[in-house]
Amino acid sequence: MNKRIGNFSRRDFLKAIGALSAGLAANPLLHSSIRTMAQDVMSQPPITILINDSPWFPGFAAMVELYSETTGNEVNLDVTPFPGMLDKTRNAVQAGESEYDAVAITEQNIPFFYNSGLLKPILDIDADYTLDENIISYGDAARWDSDLGVNGPMGTLLGIPINGNIQLYYYRRDLFDDAGIEPPKTFDEMETIAEQLGNPPRLFGNANRANPIWWEFGAYVDSYDAEYVRLEEDGSWSVGFERPEGLEAVQRWLKLGRTWAPQNYADLGQGDLLALMASGRLAQVHMVGAAAPNYDNPEISIVGGNMGATVVPGVTAEARSPRTGMWVMSHPDNLPAERAAAGLEFVKWLTTKDNQLAYAKAGAIPVRQDTYEELATDEVVGWWTSAFAESTPFLHPETRLPETPLIRDSVSTRLAQAYVDEISPEEAVGLMASEIRTVMEDAGYTVS
Amino acid sequence: MARFSLNNSGDLRTALFGPGSFKYWSVAPLLVVLVIFTVLPIAQLLQMSVSELEFIEGELVSEFIGLRQLDNLAKDPIVGIAIKNTLVFVVAVVLIETFTGFALAVAISRTTTLSIVYRSVVIIPLLIPPVAIGTMWSLIYDYNYGLITTILIELGVQNPPLWTADPDLALISVIIVDVWHWTSFMFLIMLAGIESIPPSLLEAARVDGANELRMIRHVILPMMAPTILVAMLLRTILAFKVFDQIFVLTSGGPGTATQVISMHIYKVFSEQFRLGYAAFLSLMVAAFMTIFVVFYFWASRVVRRRLG
Repeated sequence: MNKRIGNFSRRDFLKAIGALSAGLAANPLLHSSIRTMAQDVMSQPPITILINDSPWFPGFAAMVELYSETTGNEVNLDVTPFPGMLDKTRNAVQAGESEYDAVAITEQNIPFFYNSGLLKPILDIDADYTLDENIISYGDAARWDSDLGVNGPMGTLLGIPINGNIQLYYYRRDLFDDAGIEPPKTFDEMETIAEQLGNPPRLFGNANRANPIWWEFGAYVDSYDAEYVRLEEDGSWSVGFERPEGLEAVQRWLKLGRTWAPQNYADLGQGDLLALMASGRLAQVHMVGAAAPNYDNPEISIVGGNMGATVVPGVTAEARSPRTGMWVMSHPDNLPAERAAAGLEFVKWLTTKDNQLAYAKAGAIPVRQDTYEELATDEVVGWWTSAFAESTPFLHPETRLPETPLIRDSVSTRLAQAYVDEISPEEAVGLMASEIRTVMEDAGYTVS
Repeated sequence: MARFSLNNSGDLRTALFGPGSFKYWSVAPLLVVLVIFTVLPIAQLLQMSVSELEFIEGELVSEFIGLRQLDNLAKDPIVGIAIKNTLVFVVAVVLIETFTGFALAVAISRTTTLSIVYRSVVIIPLLIPPVAIGTMWSLIYDYNYGLITTILIELGVQNPPLWTADPDLALISVIIVDVWHWTSFMFLIMLAGIESIPPSLLEAARVDGANELRMIRHVILPMMAPTILVAMLLRTILAFKVFDQIFVLTSGGPGTATQVISMHIYKVFSEQFRLGYAAFLSLMVAAFMTIFVVFYFWASRVVRRRLG
């Protein structure tokens, strides 16, 4: 692997390789199957991948190393902090010829890039490729239906999922066991637990992410059946905040986010929630699934071995709706055929079942259901991989339209204002409803 | 003196190729650079600001919409808040940093022992990247683990301030960080100004019986007026563009308490993908700043004339 590893420290990298090696050593069958997979990969020209520097990156880097070792194919990585990914990807796909053979695209940017026509359809690179049915759909994140202007099962295959990030509900298993509490399935149960276990400032009952505020909130609106926008059977679009459930979702979010949280609830980011949980000061939290391996890291966590995870609660157990926040790997349309093929070859290799098992053991988030099910009983990662497997039937991705960023911006702004009482919840819902309706109507959608 | 006239072709030829024409040709490279790097990008921005831009099937499609961006501006719920916050931020930091920078410069210019140490220490914040400063201060302000809260709790304060998590304190918290960061910039300029005042003037004032305060009021301040005005102008321009510190510290929150215009433009461009509207907002800010600078030069000339 080339040395362009950006902000990824040598120490992280060695740790990831160590974890992967330990996993492989403990599982000779797995090792031999990876070797077998490697034999299927032809010799390819060197490739360069644009990848984000996220908590799961060490696992990705370890797999790149393994790919290079077992196939002899060279892979260079341009490791970029999350905020820089959009501009680098945009520049690459608009250039005369992209400097990257494959680019990682986060779910929130999928509508922009899929709709732009700047990506090469996967079947134009390899006409025989089929997306394995075990790769989780994530709301047809791999496909773009250009007629509907949204992801859809009949759409063109433009990317392959490479990171299956979703939201999980985390809890302190030791505290729950001591108190004889079962993990919650509903928001009501979450509130009861927060009240029962909360003992501030030593232990907070619950906290929500407020910066940015929109992603986790999605699990509330969807559970209340008040999705920001929804395609109705008659072909029109409806706005969730125009239904009474929209206000209920906001009120529930505010109550759970503020009542049992630290006083600085309005400023809590993902890192703060992770720090509170890892330092033993939070009883339960709803946050990104990719955080799970961090809780087992003794360098940053004192709760290793005492953590549990399950599906994010909902208004009812049946209506649980964790959001997805996954990544796909795509290939710019401005690539020559052989470069695109070399990039795709790596992604195909990465998404096989055996390599996904190794991927999870190295600290990354797989995209295959069979991988999660097989790892559900694993001693080290089983506590969170089982929660991923359990969450799949409930996953509820954001409706991905080219206008989604504008809708998200309205929700972020108004909800954040309500969170600090700049405006009332009723005002926030009214403003979100009217702003989202305007966005949709201005873009030419029929809004019912 | 040779006159450049377009009314007479003979004069034009003489001006361009005759004796003394070198002064025109010598500015040509600068003119070319200016056109390529300033005029063309502004023209492009202008064109974008009156267009709706979208990538469709691999092509950047531009549709002329004239002044319809004004409708978007009217519908934009954040731009007004962002402008108000920006103005409050700029006025506060420029005034505080000018005063503290001047006070520090006067004090350190009077010091003979350890002067080099003081000077070095004061400019340290200026050397630190803004992103590092934002991160450092977000840790200092942190309500659960931060230095300030820990000290206040140790001192027996029951309810320490929430700083960046309190909508009423967030902008003040950001201003404190900016003052910490940029006072040294003002200090350096002021110190250079003070040290350029002829010592004989200060000596004469002292001989005439002026104490320190009178010397500052009647000698140093009038002599420093041009320097202070330029320093304030530079700082105003820089403060108006504040982005990275706020991005790291608060991302514009809580609510909209620290939303500033640069951050709003970034969001419109990078998160909402509205290239045309982002270009329009950028032009609006550039135009405002240009008008401000012209007005400032006019006002500072008046001030200097009054000060003699």
